[in-house]
Amino acid sequence: MRRSLAAGGLFAAGSLMPVSSAFANQAGAHEGTPERETKPPARVVGRKVTQPERELPVLHETSVLVVGGGPAGTAAAFSAKRLGVDVTLVERYGYLGGLATGGLVLGIFPLYDRKNKQVIYGFAEELMKKLDVTKFGIIDRNKAPIYPTFDAEAMKYLLASMVLDSGVTAYLDCWGVDAIVDGRGGVRGAVFESKSGRQAILADIVIDCTGDGDIYAAAGAAFEKVETNIGLVSRIGNIDMVDMMPGRGSEDPNSRQHPMVGKVGEGRPSEGRVSDFNGHAGNPTPAPHVNWLNMKGPLGDALDVANLTELELKLRMGTWSNVQKLQHRKGNEQVYLTETAPQLGVRLSRLLDGVKKLSNQEIRGGAKFKDVIGYSGAYALAPEFQIPYGSLVPAKVENVLAAGRCISAEFEVADITRLIPVCWVTGQAAGIAAALCIQDKCKPRNVNVAKLQNLLHQQGAYLG
Amino acid sequence: MTFFRRVPRWVIQLTCFVGAIVLAWPLVPWKIAPRFFQEISPFVSVSSIIATRSIGVGAVLALVVAIASSFKKRWFCLYLCPTGFLLENSSRFGMRKNRWWGKCPPVGRYVAILTIAGAIVGYPVLLWMDPLCIFTSPFALNKATNPYSVILVILGLGVLVGATFVIGMLWCVRICPLSGLQDMLYLSRKALWAKLTSGAASPKAAGRAAVTESSNAQLVNIAAARAPKPQAARKEPANRLFAKSTRKFSSARRVFFAGGAGALLALIARRAGAARYRKANTLLRPPGAVPEDRFAGLCIRCNNCTHACPSKIIHPDTGHEAGLAGFGAPVIKYDRDYQYCLETCNACSQVCPTGALTALAMPEKKKYVIGEAIVDDNLCLLVLGKKECDACELACPYDAIKIKWDEDQFISYPGIDLNKCNGCGACQVVCPVNPTKAIRVWTLKPS
Repeated sequence: MRRSLAAGGLFAAGSLMPVSSAFANQAGAHEGTPERETKPPARVVGRKVTQPERELPVLHETSVLVVGGGPAGTAAAFSAKRLGVDVTLVERYGYLGGLATGGLVLGIFPLYDRKNKQVIYGFAEELMKKLDVTKFGIIDRNKAPIYPTFDAEAMKYLLASMVLDSGVTAYLDCWGVDAIVDGRGGVRGAVFESKSGRQAILADIVIDCTGDGDIYAAAGAAFEKVETNIGLVSRIGNIDMVDMMPGRGSEDPNSRQHPMVGKVGEGRPSEGRVSDFNGHAGNPTPAPHVNWLNMKGPLGDALDVANLTELELKLRMGTWSNVQKLQHRKGNEQVYLTETAPQLGVRLSRLLDGVKKLSNQEIRGGAKFKDVIGYSGAYALAPEFQIPYGSLVPAKVENVLAAGRCISAEFEVADITRLIPVCWVTGQAAGIAAALCIQDKCKPRNVNVAKLQNLLHQQGAYLG
Repeated sequence: MTFFRRVPRWVIQLTCFVGAIVLAWPLVPWKIAPRFFQEISPFVSVSSIIATRSIGVGAVLALVVAIASSFKKRWFCLYLCPTGFLLENSSRFGMRKNRWWGKCPPVGRYVAILTIAGAIVGYPVLLWMDPLCIFTSPFALNKATNPYSVILVILGLGVLVGATFVIGMLWCVRICPLSGLQDMLYLSRKALWAKLTSGAASPKAAGRAAVTESSNAQLVNIAAARAPKPQAARKEPANRLFAKSTRKFSSARRVFFAGGAGALLALIARRAGAARYRKANTLLRPPGAVPEDRFAGLCIRCNNCTHACPSKIIHPDTGHEAGLAGFGAPVIKYDRDYQYCLETCNACSQVCPTGALTALAMPEKKKYVIGEAIVDDNLCLLVLGKKECDACELACPYDAIKIKWDEDQFISYPGIDLNKCNGCGACQVVCPVNPTKAIRVWTLKPS
């Protein structure tokens, strides 16, 4: 079963063939999948609904289970696999890349320190190098302080081909919903919901790359719940053609009249704002004439399905209507909405209470850690800073590591560590640490840090 | 007085010159020293007291100078004035030694009358001609951050020294309003004296008698000193410096016309100032500035505020912001990285000698509204979905900016609470959009 999605080197990456082979292999993989059992349905008595206790079929057994196939999850899976351990990657959506692809967060920032020196390498650099040789794959490479921007589809393709090449077992459209714990409270795997029903995957180490910390929370690890803005990124077409037209959108902002001139008597507005949207929207992407348009969005609870539903509906509607507004401006008639991101841009939800909680004070003060596993670039007013291994390890629960946006950090810090390249950094470190746990037969909190750092170095990571 | 007669005049002058530099720098730990130094000038003090209808401690010094000058002709020019000292020496090494300006009318007096009459209307028209302010202006050179500012702060003194080198002492003898005021004080005192001592003599005649002495002969002779008859010139005592130049005291009619013209100019300038302000978008005055219609008049371009500003954001205006009338007057420009009007500083308002900037205590300064920050949706990275930027929100020292979500337009934007914003510019200087910032401080508009 382990050879399920592994293309086994039969086909060269980059041709169309591996894709079809993947289908073939996948079909093969499902031969081994246990038949869906007839399960007793949930029962309602009065207003109380109960789920009868039942045994779950074990879909798969593995050494390292990575839950979540976003930037952190893919980095963790490929890095661990490289050390020769058995890795399984599970992703809720039908593609890999998480918010980087499905969330259309296409800018790779923060990548540089305050002196515009790149401080994030390793898996991030590897991906970018592969995108470099892909047509329309990535733009603005090595142009600090301008951040590179990649194409979501190129990234999806790249990650899919990497899964097929690397031998990582992957399950897509498979949503991790619960942790499996043994008698001593150690995590032994996770429960998944998919079209195949509710199934279990048993593992020695679980890396929680769900972003929301679903697995460690289910396993009973302490966490902090935070609320941030939730937006919806979109891509719009023909926008740069508008900007390139002489005289269009190049109106001198200095020639603007005071917004309150001629409005004397209408009362002072309570807010200082010129509200008028002229079409310089978004940032260029590798795809010609297409910009990606970020949206910060309103505050929201990413763990509340009603809230998420409301945002999914409203923000998609809003994006559409904003593009329509753009179309009504002179010169912008041809602008069209290419797509809205399949996933909402959830920034933060759960933050782990780890062995080490990375504090705002520490990162502002340039704190150095003995167990450094990578750097985050300088972002907004914060300088570049080190990320300690302790931030990935839950304080209490065993056999689980966190990576990605849900690691152990204070809110202000997590607002930076949630960004795509930093997720690659924490993901890669978590993957290598998990592999070390398997090889050295130890718990994540007892991982030999020197060995971990050495392996990170070998995989090209930057540790200062 | 006998003591002073024994000491060579240049020794006293040099001492005062050095003292002036010490005060204007200021090399003393007293931060508002430059302001007191300028308030010594009776011309500045009288005009600003009338124009602002308020009086300060510095007025006492001005009164002393005024009384001394009314007893000893041009006492201030001869001994104290640092500009006079500079110009005298410039003329000494200069190109023109003859007294060609003897025929020139005493412009300085009319300037003084014009200005004081303007001050009554609230706009002291030519107050910027005061020599002490011209002298201190170049001290702001260390805070000049662009070539225009460099030129503007040294312009006044540079032109005077240069012109004096070329054409001689015309400024000191005829044009300087401070010397004109001193002449008038001296002559008035004499006329009054004559009237009191000999009741029979008509004051006009007495005045005329007094004026026949000219007051600038000695200055003339300084120039002549290097000419063929140096010895005769050198022997002339200091108090005859200005002898023979004062032809006669101005007639009542001339005084009336000068005053009328001053008041009229002041009215026109105030109207123009108010109109300019209504149209202005980017005109920002330093904290404590009097309303714009009077500011350009009250401001004497001494550049004390430019000199005092630790953020170096106060620049003399090239005329771009406030037109010709506001030429050289201070404007705030948030054009330097991370330099804004600090919430812990009120230095500029403390050093203004004329009250163009009202002295503000720290609590008042914090509340003083320089302008209002307005975010331009057309440029804001956040609004345009280019970057998740909240630099302005983080930078605002008054907690006036919050990133908000516009429910109707489906965009996030920095919401600025105009009731909290005082236009300090902290948001503008951190805004990453270049060259025009997305969030800028605009001229405060009346509601």
